[in-house]
Parts: sequence; C-alpha cells; structure tokens
Amino acid sequence: MNTKIEKEHSSNLLLSITKNQKFIAAVALFIIYLFFFVSSTAFRSTDTLTSIFDASYYIGFLAIGVTFVIITGGIDLSIGTVMMCTAIIGGVLYTNLGLPLWLALLSMIAVGALFGLINGVLVARFKLPAFIATLGTMMVARGLGSIVSDVQSITFPLRGSEDGWYKSIFRLENNFPMGIVVLLIFTILAAVILNKTKIGRYIFAIGSNREATRLSGVNVNKWETLAYVISGICAGVAGIAYAATYTTILPGEGAGFELDAIAGVVIGGTSLSGGVGTIFGTIIGVFIMSVLKVGLPYIDLQPHYQLFITGIVVIIAVYFDVRRRYKRG
Amino acid sequence: MFKVKKKMGLILVSSIVSLGLLAACGSEESDSSAEGGKMKIEVVAKGFQHDFWRAVKTGAENAAEEFDAEIQFVGPKNESAIAEQVEMINNAINKKPSAIALAALDTNASLDAIQKAMNNEIPIIGFDSGVPDAPEGSVLANASTDNYAAGELAAEGMFKGIEEKVASANGDVIRIGVVAQEVNSLSITARTEGFVDKMVELVEGKVGKGKVAVTGHAKLENDVKVKGAPVVIETRVPAQLTDAAGQTEAQTLLEKSDLIGIYGSNEFAAKAIINADNAISGGKIGPDKVIAVGFDSGALQLDAVKTERFYGSITQDPISIGYQAVKLAIEAAKGEEVADVDTGAKWYDASNIDSEEIAPLLYE
Repeated sequence: MNTKIEKEHSSNLLLSITKNQKFIAAVALFIIYLFFFVSSTAFRSTDTLTSIFDASYYIGFLAIGVTFVIITGGIDLSIGTVMMCTAIIGGVLYTNLGLPLWLALLSMIAVGALFGLINGVLVARFKLPAFIATLGTMMVARGLGSIVSDVQSITFPLRGSEDGWYKSIFRLENNFPMGIVVLLIFTILAAVILNKTKIGRYIFAIGSNREATRLSGVNVNKWETLAYVISGICAGVAGIAYAATYTTILPGEGAGFELDAIAGVVIGGTSLSGGVGTIFGTIIGVFIMSVLKVGLPYIDLQPHYQLFITGIVVIIAVYFDVRRRYKRG
Repeated sequence: MFKVKKKMGLILVSSIVSLGLLAACGSEESDSSAEGGKMKIEVVAKGFQHDFWRAVKTGAENAAEEFDAEIQFVGPKNESAIAEQVEMINNAINKKPSAIALAALDTNASLDAIQKAMNNEIPIIGFDSGVPDAPEGSVLANASTDNYAAGELAAEGMFKGIEEKVASANGDVIRIGVVAQEVNSLSITARTEGFVDKMVELVEGKVGKGKVAVTGHAKLENDVKVKGAPVVIETRVPAQLTDAAGQTEAQTLLEKSDLIGIYGSNEFAAKAIINADNAISGGKIGPDKVIAVGFDSGALQLDAVKTERFYGSITQDPISIGYQAVKLAIEAAKGEEVADVDTGAKWYDASNIDSEEIAPLLYE
C-alpha cells in the first residue's frame, strides 16, 4: 500500500519536474535580467534590449534547429560553420554571380538543408556516431566557405543601399527590433512541429527508445534524417540573420557558435540523452546567454566572464537533467 | 525527495538574489562616483590578448590616469571576430559614455552602431587603423601612425646602410627591392610609397635627378626608363595573401645579383623576406651583404634584427596610440576641436632593440 502511493507520488513528481525545468530557466532569465536592471542605470534602455535581441537572433535559430536533433538523442556540431558557409555562399551568389538577393537568401536555406541531409544520412543511414559525422561536416563547411569565397571576405548590401531591404527583416529603419517578432513566429512554428505533428511525435519517440520505435513499424531512418535537415534549414535561416546583423562575413569562421547554441538548448532543459525537450525552453536558454553577454559589461566585467558564468549555468542545468533521469531510471 | 529539491531551489534562488543585491549596492557606489564628474570613455580595440593591444591599453590607461577619466578597454578575441566586436561597440554605446575610441575590424559591419552613436551624439575617435570610410562626421579625429612618414623613416634607415654602395657604384646597375603585402589597404600602401619616394629622393642626391627608376607594381612605378637607369627600385606585390606567395616574391628579388637593399613594408612582408632568405643556401641578407629593413615586430623579425640579419626595422608606437586615442576622446567629449594626431614611428636595430625606449613597443 505504502509503496504504491510512493510510486504514484514519484510519477507526479516526474511530471512536475519536467515542466519545472523550463519554468526554472524562465525564472532564472527573469532574475538575471532584473539583476542587471537593478545594478546599472544604463542597462535600463531600449537600446540595450535591442542589443540583447540582436545577439540572440542567429544563436536562437541555430538552437531551435539543434533542439530537434538533440531530442532524437543525437548532436549536430556542424551548425556554426554551416551557418557561416551558407552566408558566404549566399554572398558569393549575390555579389559575384549577380543573383537577385531574395534568391541568394533562399539558396542559403537550401544549402543549409543540404548539409542537414548529409548529416542525417551519415547518422541515420550509415550509422556514423553523430558526434563524429557532424564534426566532419563542421570542417567540410568551414573549408567549403573558404574555397567558394577564395578566402576573401564577403560584404552583404548595406542598409540604405538598393538591396538593403533584407536588413529590415531583423531591424526596421526606426530601429524597431523586428527580428524578435520573426524569431518568436519561428519559435511558435517550431514548437507546433515538435508538439503537434507526426514529425515531432516520431522525433520524441526515437529519442526515448529508437529500437522500440523501429519495431513498432516507424521508418526511424527517415524521421531521424529529417531532424538533421530541420537543423540544417535553421542554420540557413541563422545565416540570413547573421548577414543582416553583421553584414561582413569572413570565411573560416563560425566554429564555436554551435556550442553556444547547444548550451542554450541544455540550459532550456532539453536532455542531451534524448527524448525530452522544448523549443520554448531553448529560446529562454538562448536569452539567458544573451542577457549575460550584453549585461556583464554594464557591471564592468569583461565579456570573457560571460564564458565563465555561462559555463556554471550549463553545469547547473545539466545537473538538473541528470537528477531527472536518475529519478526516471 | 521533493523537499530536498525544493530546498535546493530555494537556496539557489536566494543566493542569486542576495548576490544581485550585493552587486547592486556595490555598483550604485560607482555610479555616484561617476556623477562626481569623472568622464567615462569606452575604448573598443581590435584585439585584447595580443602584445600590441596590451601596449595600446597601457597607453590608454596612462591617459585616463593623467586626465582623471574612467576607461573601459575591450576587444574581441581575434581580428576576425567581427560579430563579437560589433556587439562590443553596441554595448559601449548603450552605456552612454562621454566618448568612444574605436579601431573597427570592419566598417560595414559597424555602420548601424556608428549611426546609433551619432544619433546619441556620442563622439567617436578612431585609433590605430581607425574606421576607414566611416560616414562623414561620425569619426571626429584619428590617433594613428602616419604611415607615409613611417615609410620615409625606413628609407632613411636603410640609406645609411647602402649609402657607400650607391656612391661607389661606377656604371653597374644597383637594385633596391620592396616587398609589399598589398596595394589596397591604405596603411600598407602609404608605408610602401613613403619608402619609395624618400628613397628616390635620397639616392638622387647621390647619383643625380632622373637616374632612379621605380618599376614593378603599376601603382608605384615612375616615369624613368629602367633601361639605362643606374639605380632601380623594384616593388613586388604577391598575387595572393599567403605566406608562400609572399615568399616567392621576396625570393625573386633576393636572387637578383645586383640587389643591395630590400624592404618589407609590414610584418607579413618582413617575414616573407626572412623565409625566402632561409631558403637560399648561405643566405643573401646580413651585414656587408643585402641590407634588409622591415616593419613592425613578430618573433621572426625580432630575431632577425637581434642577429643583425636585418639592418633594422620600423615599429609603431602602440603606447602612444592608446594614450592619444583617450586624450582625443576626452577633448572631443568636452566639445573641443580635435584633429588627427600622428602617434609616431621609431627605428630600431640590434643596438637599441632591448632599450627601455624600444622594448615595450615590440611584440612577438
């Protein structure tokens, strides 16, 4: 009798903590923002808020995409350099080959999707460990960017120039941070795909138990591949956001951004062992990092403290994740 | 179990909050001190760890102390971290400082931020390479090396080593080689032109007007016909920005038997000369051989100067760059009229490389 109650209690507990992690992240975000708000008068400006948003766009898109992959139990290390590679290819198509800008931007998403497809096939079909396969494509993307651009930097059209309209996707002429609206719409879209569609259900199922999912007649290779394709598409979108925000793209860059994105995902409560995760948690995780990055200089701490503090936040987040799994087990 | 969790959360939250309050109190104090009239200057450099930027920071801090201002010196992790620097510039502007000193990695990427500074009426001072092609009226003045003058200094330095050979050349053609990394960047081109122009002037003083032909890259050539000219200055620019391509150009020059002097107008070019010379058995540069002169520092070049393979080199003055940048920023913030400042360049060779005056300006 007693044990039965305990069991029921612990299953309720499981439920409440799963919900909790996202909640904890949101509370943490609020507290961190409040902390800077109280500490520094200069922090309390809309300009600062815009800077926080600006710093969140590209990492946000990357993180949303890689959330899908991480929920399958995999990892995608290539997203950072793939993002830069798509931006370079888009820039070359526009500047050197004279493609219309809208087509160049769409091509960036296509290039991202292609990289995702390669990752997906390598992992799902050829059973390469995701860590190694995407490490490989990470290097390939980095090299490809340099090859395509002939190691020259690429400059996207400036604000106010003929083709400068794409910048307004993320920031209007009157400085309104349009990107946050775009990012939120994208977030909702991703959340719907993950929670309300077959794609999402199978991705969760693969992450929870790949073998059981396969045995129940699901084409796991297909859905697992799709998760990587989604990640690649998001990297392409992130490339557009990056180009719009920073204009100049250098070849051979981008390594390290994937870790920022993955850190955001983990802080947001998605389990690196797969089967558990939310898109909204991921976005909150990304914002936690952006607020830290933008906020710390206001209390006269150099940006490298951000790494230090983000690291601690990641460790705390993973600790919660491990506790959760331990209980589930 | 649940209780443990709850306690954990409670401890976590309360510790964060108390930490926040603690820091909040601390920073309020510093806020009030700022109201006491101390000027706040944000310095955004192109780097942070590199010795060159450390020296710039030292200069900036010296100026801050002298003029009783508060500075925040930031820089990205390397010279390709454009996004990181743009975020830093934005941050600097958001903090509403009295002025900003900026060495932009990429002007295009920074345009939005520069516009924001103008809207907020925050004066910007450029330093080091400054903000090339910045929108008019955004950058009030620059604290940077006068690269043309620095190039002239290199020519004067080298001329001391080749003067005798130039004077005693009886009929034989003599050649002076120049390796330039590129001819697009203003700073490097000015260093190259300064050298070539001054060298022509100095050599003409010995051999007569119209006797020095400048050949090689079209952008630097002069009208004097190479055929029949007793002195030829030959400039070479690699087709690609790779060490190998630079080395090839340097080696082509070094293998000419009439070469008496060679100049590399930045660290890249100096390195190319050293590497090319290493590839030639016996070596062509050194005392009583080809007189080599470089620019900037770097481990390889410092070693070459120390061992006298290089006759000497030119170094910029990063400490002065940092000092003048902050000084100009303070003046601009006060609304004073500001103008570009030449932060100077210095000649160094084996005799003074370790001196107190030169050593702090050099970096590996």
